[in-house]
Amino acid sequence: MVAQRDDLACCVRCAGAATADRLARRSLLKAGVHPPAAGPSPGSVLTGTVLAGTVLDTSPQVITLYCGSGETRLALTPETSVWKGRRADPTAVEAGDSVVIRLLPRPRGVADRIWANAGRVTGVIVERDPDGVLVDEGRTTSRQAVVIPGRAASRLQVRFPRLEPGYLIDVIGLRTRGYLEALIPATSQPIYRAGEAPAPAPARSHVPASIAGSATWHEPAGPADAEGVRYPALDPESACLEQPLNGSACPRLPYLSVGSLLRVRNECTGISRVLPVSGCAAMAQVFCDRCVTCGTSPRGRIADLPMATFVVMGGELDQGCFNATVSMGQVAMGQA
Amino acid sequence: MTTPGLTATVLADLRDLQPPVIAGMLMGGCAAKLSRVLRAGSLDAGLGPTELFPLRLRRPLAMLMCAFELCLGLALVVTLFPVGTRQGVPLFAPRAATGARVAAAAFFLVAASALIELRARRPAVGCGCFGDLSTRPVGLRSIARSAVLTVAALTSIDSPAFYLPPRGRGAVLFLGILCAEIAAIAVMSPEVGEALVRLGYSDPCELRRLPAERTLAALRRSRQWRRHAGAITADLPVDMWRELCWRYVAFPYRSAGAGAEVVFAVQVKRRRPAIQSAVVPLPAAAPAEPAPDVAPARGAGRHGALGAAHGALGSGRHGVLGAGRHGAMPLSKAL
Repeated sequence: MVAQRDDLACCVRCAGAATADRLARRSLLKAGVHPPAAGPSPGSVLTGTVLAGTVLDTSPQVITLYCGSGETRLALTPETSVWKGRRADPTAVEAGDSVVIRLLPRPRGVADRIWANAGRVTGVIVERDPDGVLVDEGRTTSRQAVVIPGRAASRLQVRFPRLEPGYLIDVIGLRTRGYLEALIPATSQPIYRAGEAPAPAPARSHVPASIAGSATWHEPAGPADAEGVRYPALDPESACLEQPLNGSACPRLPYLSVGSLLRVRNECTGISRVLPVSGCAAMAQVFCDRCVTCGTSPRGRIADLPMATFVVMGGELDQGCFNATVSMGQVAMGQA
Repeated sequence: MTTPGLTATVLADLRDLQPPVIAGMLMGGCAAKLSRVLRAGSLDAGLGPTELFPLRLRRPLAMLMCAFELCLGLALVVTLFPVGTRQGVPLFAPRAATGARVAAAAFFLVAASALIELRARRPAVGCGCFGDLSTRPVGLRSIARSAVLTVAALTSIDSPAFYLPPRGRGAVLFLGILCAEIAAIAVMSPEVGEALVRLGYSDPCELRRLPAERTLAALRRSRQWRRHAGAITADLPVDMWRELCWRYVAFPYRSAGAGAEVVFAVQVKRRRPAIQSAVVPLPAAAPAEPAPDVAPARGAGRHGALGAAHGALGSGRHGVLGAGRHGAMPLSKAL
């Protein structure tokens, strides 16, 4: 128990093989006492529709990248759209770029959309500099340097007027060596400091089995993190260090644990996946925002997906979020 | 108390009651604000009229208001004492008493004005008069309460020193007036309803926080535990996790010579939780989880295990934090 909890100190991001086995066994043990309802089980999310890797070579017609399954060659068409800080031609992609590629369903092996060097920083500003800010993303993640280029400064200032220590920031941009070049505001800045978020109102009734809100994306911290979903409300008694910040005006989410299964549905595309919880979305609860990708979602971030999974589910990385619904637990709630 | 008519007696008692009642309101407001600050962990947790001011002024203003309420309440109480113990003896500091009462009247007048302004400019913001209990938007009741307290403070300017009401009818009348005034203030206070709701409030089970110690204690008292206790090979669970209204606890188990684990599902409930169990065989290739080297006594084991777990978690936390902070590159260098 002690070893298990210690191993889980930073959830699956730094868990060893033994802990991964232990987490995988949770669903089996749970099924022993609470047999699950029939339904799809979690499998590999990246089922050939999305590839993530590093570009080895590129030409106007073909892109070669190295991903988990080895070297892959994909065809580029004039309709292939590329995002590399802004909309660009396929020629903008260079060897060495980290890319997430969505493929066309037919014909196979043809790239539909490419995001090159996309990165995101979500957290609390801890230091301000003339060129940018240093951001704390959570207890187990190293601090992120964010550079704000002059051409994007005014656009960012409109949505993030207070780039001062203590305030929140959520920006999308180009990931370069050691820092993020912020280009797009992913949301609007809350008016309060991170530590001043208002307390949630007491819940009057049981939380519904499906909760609507906003799903965001993050850069995965490792292979295990790339297969799951970060969830904002892990049980404080048996969870990892990545506890969410205290306080939020958003409705409270029911407690789950690492390894719990969550069905995430993109309300804009209708695509849904069953994903295991891989860790805590430490900053999600203080950003009590809405997603307006297709209609206006209820307030609150309910899932934080790895970037490839986000794309698999039909999300656009440069938009930052999609309207989502999460369903949890095959065990009926409301028995206590 | 000495006036012959009932009306005059009631009015005199009402006037004499105001300083302690107002002092109680002020100190109660200060205590509620402090409790909100303690729970939020920050002095900056803004609410109420401070929202009307620029951000940099909110924190000092909130501190100033809370300190002023406390000092004014104490001043009203302290200056209420007489020079002697007999009824009718003068105040030992009449000028200070008058000053405190005038200050209280001015305070509530300013508060009423601020609430009117807040209602007009930030209609969604609560008054914050009693911390977290005052989160509802400012209504006419809150404004009326401040106005009534202003009048109460003004009428109390000439009230005499503190005295005990005479026994019998006089004491009953005095207590009746006190109760009536408290009831009138309660009617004008939206916080009372909120406080009553909170007193009777219980989190839904999926949102309820319950220490793991209580889950383990309930489990070890249960019939399900006694049924499996003989075959459980370790005192400490190999895994414990929670999903919604259930906390799952797994122990290594001896089942017909083969490795297995017994899992208990314990409801997240403070009293008499439902408990279910199942024995799940280990996969063929996987060796059984090693039992701890030393199996402590049952009682000690519970606390020891969790204490050690918290210790491990704590050390990890500091380690990670320390490493993170010291390891973080200063922005200037990162750039």
